[in-house]
Amino acid sequence: MRVATDVGGTFTDLVGIGPNGIVTAKADTTPPDFDRGVLAAITKAGVSPANFDFFAHGTTVVINALLSRTGGRTALITTEGFRDVLEIARGNRPDLFNFAFEKPSPFVPRYLRFEMRERVGPDGDILLPIDMSSLDAIGDELEAQRVDAVAVCFLHAYANPEHEAAVCASLRAKWPSLSVVGSNEVCREWREYERTSTTVLSAYVHPIAKRYLGSLEKGLRERGLASVPYIMQSNGGVTTVEGARNNPIALVESGPASGVLGAAALGRRIGEPNLIALDIGGTTAKTALIRDGQARITTDYKIEWDRTSPGYPIRTPVVDLVEIGNGGGSIAWTDEGGRLHVGPKSAGSTPGPAAYGRGGTEPTTTDANLVLGRINPDLFLGGEHKPDFDNVTKAFGKFTRQLGGSVEDVARGVIRIANANMVNALKLVSLNRGFDPREFALIAFGGGGAMHAVSLAKDLQARKVIIPVNSSVFSAWGMLMSDIRRDFLMTRVEDISAFPLDRLNTVYGEMEADAGAVCVREGMDAAKLRFERYADMRYCGQEHTVKVPVAGGAIDRDAVEAAIEAFHAEHHREYTFRLDSDVELVNYHVVALNETDKIDLPERPKTGATADSVITGRRTVDFDTDGVHESAAYDLAHFEPDMEIRGPAILEDSTTTIVVNPGCTARMDVVGNIHIELGN
Amino acid sequence: MTRHDPFTQEIIKNALVAVGDEMFLAMAKTSMSPIIYEALDYSVGITNARGDLIAQGNGTTVFLGMIDSLVRDILEKFAGDIHQDDVFISNDPYKGGGTHLCDVAIVKPIFVAGELVAFAMNKAHWVDVGGMAAGSFTTDATEIFQEGLQIPTVKIMERGKPVGGILEILQSNIRLPKDSMGDFWAGMAANKVAEVRIVELFDRYGAASMHQAMDDLLDYGEAMIAAELKRLPQGTFYAEDWIDDDGITDQPLKVCVRIDITEDKFKVDFTGSAPQTAGPINNSRTGLVSAVRTIFKALTNPGIAANGGCFRAIEVVCPDRTLFTAERPAPVSTYWETMLYAQDLIWKALAEHLPDRLTAGHVLSVCAIVFSGPHPKTKAPTILVGPLVGGWGAMQDRDGLNGQFSVADGETYNFPVEVTEAKYGVHVRSYAFHDDDGGAGRFRGGKGVALEYEIPNDGWVFTGSFGRFKFPPWGAAGGQQGSSNYAEILRQGQRSDPPERLGKPARVPLAKGDVVRMVTATGGGWGDPKLRAREAIEADLRDGFVTPDQAARDYGHST
Repeated sequence: MRVATDVGGTFTDLVGIGPNGIVTAKADTTPPDFDRGVLAAITKAGVSPANFDFFAHGTTVVINALLSRTGGRTALITTEGFRDVLEIARGNRPDLFNFAFEKPSPFVPRYLRFEMRERVGPDGDILLPIDMSSLDAIGDELEAQRVDAVAVCFLHAYANPEHEAAVCASLRAKWPSLSVVGSNEVCREWREYERTSTTVLSAYVHPIAKRYLGSLEKGLRERGLASVPYIMQSNGGVTTVEGARNNPIALVESGPASGVLGAAALGRRIGEPNLIALDIGGTTAKTALIRDGQARITTDYKIEWDRTSPGYPIRTPVVDLVEIGNGGGSIAWTDEGGRLHVGPKSAGSTPGPAAYGRGGTEPTTTDANLVLGRINPDLFLGGEHKPDFDNVTKAFGKFTRQLGGSVEDVARGVIRIANANMVNALKLVSLNRGFDPREFALIAFGGGGAMHAVSLAKDLQARKVIIPVNSSVFSAWGMLMSDIRRDFLMTRVEDISAFPLDRLNTVYGEMEADAGAVCVREGMDAAKLRFERYADMRYCGQEHTVKVPVAGGAIDRDAVEAAIEAFHAEHHREYTFRLDSDVELVNYHVVALNETDKIDLPERPKTGATADSVITGRRTVDFDTDGVHESAAYDLAHFEPDMEIRGPAILEDSTTTIVVNPGCTARMDVVGNIHIELGN
Repeated sequence: MTRHDPFTQEIIKNALVAVGDEMFLAMAKTSMSPIIYEALDYSVGITNARGDLIAQGNGTTVFLGMIDSLVRDILEKFAGDIHQDDVFISNDPYKGGGTHLCDVAIVKPIFVAGELVAFAMNKAHWVDVGGMAAGSFTTDATEIFQEGLQIPTVKIMERGKPVGGILEILQSNIRLPKDSMGDFWAGMAANKVAEVRIVELFDRYGAASMHQAMDDLLDYGEAMIAAELKRLPQGTFYAEDWIDDDGITDQPLKVCVRIDITEDKFKVDFTGSAPQTAGPINNSRTGLVSAVRTIFKALTNPGIAANGGCFRAIEVVCPDRTLFTAERPAPVSTYWETMLYAQDLIWKALAEHLPDRLTAGHVLSVCAIVFSGPHPKTKAPTILVGPLVGGWGAMQDRDGLNGQFSVADGETYNFPVEVTEAKYGVHVRSYAFHDDDGGAGRFRGGKGVALEYEIPNDGWVFTGSFGRFKFPPWGAAGGQQGSSNYAEILRQGQRSDPPERLGKPARVPLAKGDVVRMVTATGGGWGDPKLRAREAIEADLRDGFVTPDQAARDYGHST
């Protein structure tokens, strides 16, 4: 059977597909020993690793180590004259008018930042050969300071990594247990601060990731796992344990990536290649655009970045998604000007929304959904807990006095503002990049996705809504659909308008050869290895680039012309104009892929019963601008393929509530996904 | 609920604010000049049809008064002659929008169903607009005519058609026409984004709701600030300071402010400050208003999106023709040095009264540099223009920030060493904190930075404006003052005797192998250095932030 586990903030989800259908299980997440939770989920699901043909795992261990500052004690070795680059950072202050601004402090303090005499030029020429003798003194200091990890990042190492490689090899030979990361191993793009930051954070998480992966693999082996376990990466592909150990920073957005990837894979399976994926959890909502069955990959990624903080850049390939502080637990509040806001503060699971009755005094999005009749009180929290309506009324009370209107009016306002926030995020990934939402279906999952999807899609004018089968554990399911993937980027500026065919063929050829060697060493199957090529391009003089695909095989004039034309078209789509200027290639990008064998989704059984036979009740539901209506509630657990219902209606089970607005129709397909036509 | 309900109004307001953000991004991503896409030395915004600021996207703080004032000038100058698909262009420093000639504004009126409903505008620093020096600012100009081509608010497009020859005139008067035309189109794209969004919002919510939301947004800005204004210390405050000189003579120039804060008014009076002067440090009245708005926002509510309503409580008093209110034809190309003093005076007067919002004195000067010369590989003329990071002042409970841009900048990014070397051909020798004296305190000023460029071939020149060369950042509550901003020329890499240190280098000729060492200030300290915790001093010694000599002398520390 094929099994995936996804470690979330609260729960560790498991999904398996085998000859007997789908198995799911949820266990508590167990920080800091996350592997215990994974093994517990396996036990809970009653499955045996000995029967796993494929096992994939998404983990928060890397992001958790970064955010909680529990990584290793880390040092940096860099070019003489530049040890402060890490601390100066880019000098920016996003919170422009805050003169008490706090600058993020560096992960390596100044006394652990060492310099070596060496210098490489922008073309990769060695201007000053490295003096390796000085490494002994640095090594002694590293030992005296008892560091766990060392990042090595020299200027222009993206163009020539020779010096870095020599230092890394020497450190590894002398201190085999030390975590050593060279910038060229994790990032070959220019901009020294971003590359140094990436290398430092990679080194920082290396010891903890290595330990975790080792103990997980051991636990699985002891339970009989015979296949190679795969680890989900931020780029939407999986890698081997060996690959993850060598490049742990690639796991930083492991969880969110798998949901997007699952949406892309599901879309390809059901003939919906153009999708906007939306994952609404307890604290945040995440959205990404999928075009022609592919999600966008970017290396422009930062942690702890927001409107007030520059955060820390990590130049590793991640699925390009927008995340906002709006989830089921997001708190509604008013500011001194009397404006109502929702989020980004979340009530979390403790105290949780007011309806939990666990001491939460502030109204949340979930409370508003309860007030408006969208959530069935009998199924609240999986039916294990009656909502505390008195507490909900009390929580909304202060706003009814301040803003006027009834509890329902305020609840409607909360939903409307939460939806507007989410629509803005959905526009950021679609309209703002020149994509017309009318050509896309909105695929919504996570705990709150199904509840808001129809309103959002109507607002956005998306083509339709899809709620995938098992939508509340969809991220784990996404991993079962993933291929083994590793991305390699390298900065080398080329005037592509001059058709440097030899250069292009040589560089892509060498990158593929190197990539192939790395992937095979990490356990990929050489016979099944496949490459994709991309180029980050821009008009000469610009800084920001646009990614376009490049043909495989020998690159001729036509292939270059096609890439340049693709660039003009993409630039025009995203930025509304094209220029008659020369075009530069800035980054070469090669993707190495190993496709995995996948099992198709099993068909959902059908008895031929009518939709009416699964109506469990009727209640009054407030659909905001679409009015308040007496609505039938249908049992999602017993819903069957080809059943079709018309809104106003609710389709629900203990984990999912699908709100079907008036005028919309919902139908189940053969594998159990719900398709909602918006009737416009 | 109807579409006028408060929640829909909120949503429209959020959408209007989001338009500013979106314009901002569109501009950065398509610009051709690092001063725009890295330094983000530009601003975008929308006003209503009357010229009230509705939303603004900022890379720097200096433009906070520039959007609405220029739109008002256009309304006045072109009354009855504003049509759909007109585009205006301006760099007039003395009128609305005024800064210096390098900042070029592009403004587009937005129409819905034939009615003028809003203006979209952006104002961005072009790398060069002609004049006596590459980069169009230099520290010894004596007339505006030496500082570049003046564009006195004209139409560059009328009803969608280019107005004959204006683009050509521009291109023939500037040194890097290709880059600047790229920036022109980036500005057009940003305005286009705003137009599409605004029209979409009007279509969706209707004109009545939209006008209501714009008015509400202004009132909301006022209400948010009013609540904070009541929390400021009431009374009269005073500060004075000295500007190094005007670049023509060596004479320091006195500036001062008197502040009266009441429950509903924030009045600042700069009477008594030096008159406008021969050199280019003059600042116009619009710049003064921007400076006061910036510090006022920092004092009251730094977080909310700025709009015209936020600033209704401000009253600025200053006689005409002072350094802060210069008039034609005074040169203005390094106006920011003086504009920043207007903010810094208010800051200095209030720091110890608002210690949770304000630090001791910081680097203040943008420390703007211009290097120009032939690229060593292509021989093409190259102009490198940019700001530098420096130290910020300490606060009552923590050390100052190391290596941050001046308050004039904001979402401004330093140029990566690797990009600088590849793009401009200079060799960067080091980029590191320095250990010049200054900034000691119970909490220490943040460290300034030294950046060294080695010149790759003959024929380069260097201009820089390093304010606070003679008068370093001030300390607070008994803390020591910071260190100075300056540039030092190391001929063939060697320090001369006495050292060749300059506050306002103007077109200094450089030969292959010469090194320019640019040093920015360490910020002022807060509190008596003798009260600094011993562990903090030891950590500073371990990190090399304080030398053993400084520890002994400034802190009385013995090992």
